[in-house]
Amino acid sequence: MASTPEVATPAAFPQTNKPVARILTERLGAKVRKVDDWRGDLAITVERSAWVEAATLLRDHPELDFKLFLDLCGVDYLDEREDRFEVVLHAYSVTHKHHVRIKATLPESDATIDTLDKVYKGANWFEREAWDLYGIKFKGHPNLVRILTHKDFVGHGMRKDYPQSKRHVLKEPEAWLLNVPKDSEAMVVNIGPSHPAMHGCFRVQALLDGETIQDAEAEIGYMHRNFEKMSEARTYWQIIPYTDRLNYCSSFMNGHGWALAVEKLLGVPAPPRAEAIRVILSEFSRIMDHFVAIGTNVVDLGAITPFFMLFRVREEIYELLEECCGARLTVSYVRIGGLANDVPDGFVEKCRDLIKRCHKYTDEVDKLLTRNSIFVNRFKDVGALSKEDALSYGWVGPCLRGSGVAYDIRKDQPYSGYEQYDFDVPVGTVGDCYDRYLVRLEEIRQSLRIIEQALGKLPGGPVIVDDKRVALPPKADVYSNIEALMNHFKLVYEGILPPPGEVYGYTEAANGELGYYIVSDGKKFPWRVKVRPPCFNIYQAYPQMIKGGQIADAVAIIGGLNIIAGELDR
Amino acid sequence: MGILDIFKGKLLDPTAYPSVHAKGDVITTTVDAVVKWGRKSSIWPMPFGTACCAIEFMALTASHYDLARFGAEVLRFSPRQADLMFVAGTIVDKEGPILKTIYDQMPEPKWVISMGVCASSGGFYRSYHVMQGIDEIIPVDVYVPGCPPAPEALVAAVMKIQDRIMKGEQAKKPQGEHRLGAPGDGFIDRRARKAAWAKDDSERLAKGLPPRGVVSFRVLNNNEPEAEPEHHG
Repeated sequence: MASTPEVATPAAFPQTNKPVARILTERLGAKVRKVDDWRGDLAITVERSAWVEAATLLRDHPELDFKLFLDLCGVDYLDEREDRFEVVLHAYSVTHKHHVRIKATLPESDATIDTLDKVYKGANWFEREAWDLYGIKFKGHPNLVRILTHKDFVGHGMRKDYPQSKRHVLKEPEAWLLNVPKDSEAMVVNIGPSHPAMHGCFRVQALLDGETIQDAEAEIGYMHRNFEKMSEARTYWQIIPYTDRLNYCSSFMNGHGWALAVEKLLGVPAPPRAEAIRVILSEFSRIMDHFVAIGTNVVDLGAITPFFMLFRVREEIYELLEECCGARLTVSYVRIGGLANDVPDGFVEKCRDLIKRCHKYTDEVDKLLTRNSIFVNRFKDVGALSKEDALSYGWVGPCLRGSGVAYDIRKDQPYSGYEQYDFDVPVGTVGDCYDRYLVRLEEIRQSLRIIEQALGKLPGGPVIVDDKRVALPPKADVYSNIEALMNHFKLVYEGILPPPGEVYGYTEAANGELGYYIVSDGKKFPWRVKVRPPCFNIYQAYPQMIKGGQIADAVAIIGGLNIIAGELDR
Repeated sequence: MGILDIFKGKLLDPTAYPSVHAKGDVITTTVDAVVKWGRKSSIWPMPFGTACCAIEFMALTASHYDLARFGAEVLRFSPRQADLMFVAGTIVDKEGPILKTIYDQMPEPKWVISMGVCASSGGFYRSYHVMQGIDEIIPVDVYVPGCPPAPEALVAAVMKIQDRIMKGEQAKKPQGEHRLGAPGDGFIDRRARKAAWAKDDSERLAKGLPPRGVVSFRVLNNNEPEAEPEHHG
């Protein structure tokens, strides 16, 4: 008989028979504290002494094979639980197509845990973030300093006892990111945060020998506007406008992902018409995002014509979104359980027309760039990243596919009815800038294919679920009968009340897997929302990629990665 | 046809400048008017784009809205070559000193457009790392509301700047230019910040120091009587 009732035996977890749980409990024995399988998410709590062991096992065991690092974050339970903090790791297996969540609890008196830096390359920055925002120490971490907030910040912003709006002013920015040897003759070049090639506000410091980059270090946090902290004081609806501003090149997709994650938490799926419209607008958003990525990337290299062409047709997609919901960029069109309203008349014809225009301009840009020798010379064999490194850093989306891994959530874990549509997943071979460009270009064409099919079988019916706990009643009813009025009042006043629990919702956004890890305590505000930002992992590899290359290549590489500040820093 | 015709037609209203000769060969005007016209028609903007607004700013400069129609298409990413700064996007505390440095590097006369609610007031990010409006640290000439503002609104903002250049107005006096790090900087509540600044100014006055918001070497419009220093908060 075990000393505590919490100690794990395989028989103690009858609710799951997933092989991941079985293997982990067999191998780690009593170090597995708890196994939970709720809403299809497998969550395993381990002793913190077995943290690295568990992660290594997940990565190396052939039946588990969790090569793709997704996310690592802290959660603060304050007085809700005995141990105040929790560290949460998400990983994915590309071969077996399964997700897992591993957790370890840490008491407030000793919030330390071993680092996963040696297991996953991508864990480095995530651990720095957990230190910055929660004050969780990672033993053995090579560089455990603040990453999102600035050096004069006092306290840990995401802790529950840290006031939401207590600011600390920075007077002088950090001057040196690199350790330059004293007698070094190399030149230090500081790029950004306000630099045209840095697309917003990233900062890189490079140590140059002639034009070759010897060493480089990146700094982020210049757009850390606290999405996650704000979410903890907003209802599930009110978070939708904030999600629009994560990846603002394709706002609609963030809202789509958020709605799916909350619907997963609630167990309330959206009606088929809403899902089909979501797919159409998501794919148009993906096209817009790729237009921006390609257009601005080549502007940095000196070619401005493709930019003008792509922005012209992008403007037309804006018009479509504007007709649907009234906003161009930050759409806020989704609702939990469906959409805000139905699409306007003539939507299908307008979309068909747009598809033609998109094809036309994509083909023209293809003609201008793909075989253009200047462009090819700048892009081919520049910034290549191997498949193994890409997975270990946690790359996703077009960048991972450029490196040769055919991981697309729309195929592997279909949502919103993507399984009904016929489309291909383009994959690169070398993983250089040119591959990433080609993958993006082909994805535009595949997205147009999906839209065409979705328009062909656009179902009728309502666009929002008929559920009083989730959706507002129609306005006409609110004004005419008391029941609808009360429902409306209660829903607006009390918000959506999901069951207590935690889910990880994920979608294929334009830059890759956009995940929302939501912890609900059953009240109207979420307890914790963690965005799994695709750019964060991708940008983390950037300093390594530019080392040894030319300084001019650094500009070509960053444009091709399509880093979006709003999503990177949240 | 020549440059004089352009002046006559577009720059000068003959009723306002009766010295323009009817035959059109010679005009007399003031250097001031020509300089203003030149400044107005060749604004070189510098985009300080950080977030979503920068995407709409790109739409403004791209083919559909085409800022070139207003003579302002020469985007300069170096502040030393620019006379109008678009602050497009949320400015967080970490970015604050950088924005200030870049503003200081711009040559006079310089103008600032605060694009969107985040730059103007912090927007709906009232949180621990977001500056509650860039006028905490630099002066702003035109605020453009919207999240993000439509490009039409930005065109209107540029035209406002052009009008003010033609009227000979100077850029707005520094509001809280040297407030970075002053007491009250970092208060989320604007009234509390205003009170803290007023207290700070009165303490400085007692010591014989000028208020923090005033830069002594800046030449403002000499014709107008100097207004009392006013602190926008």
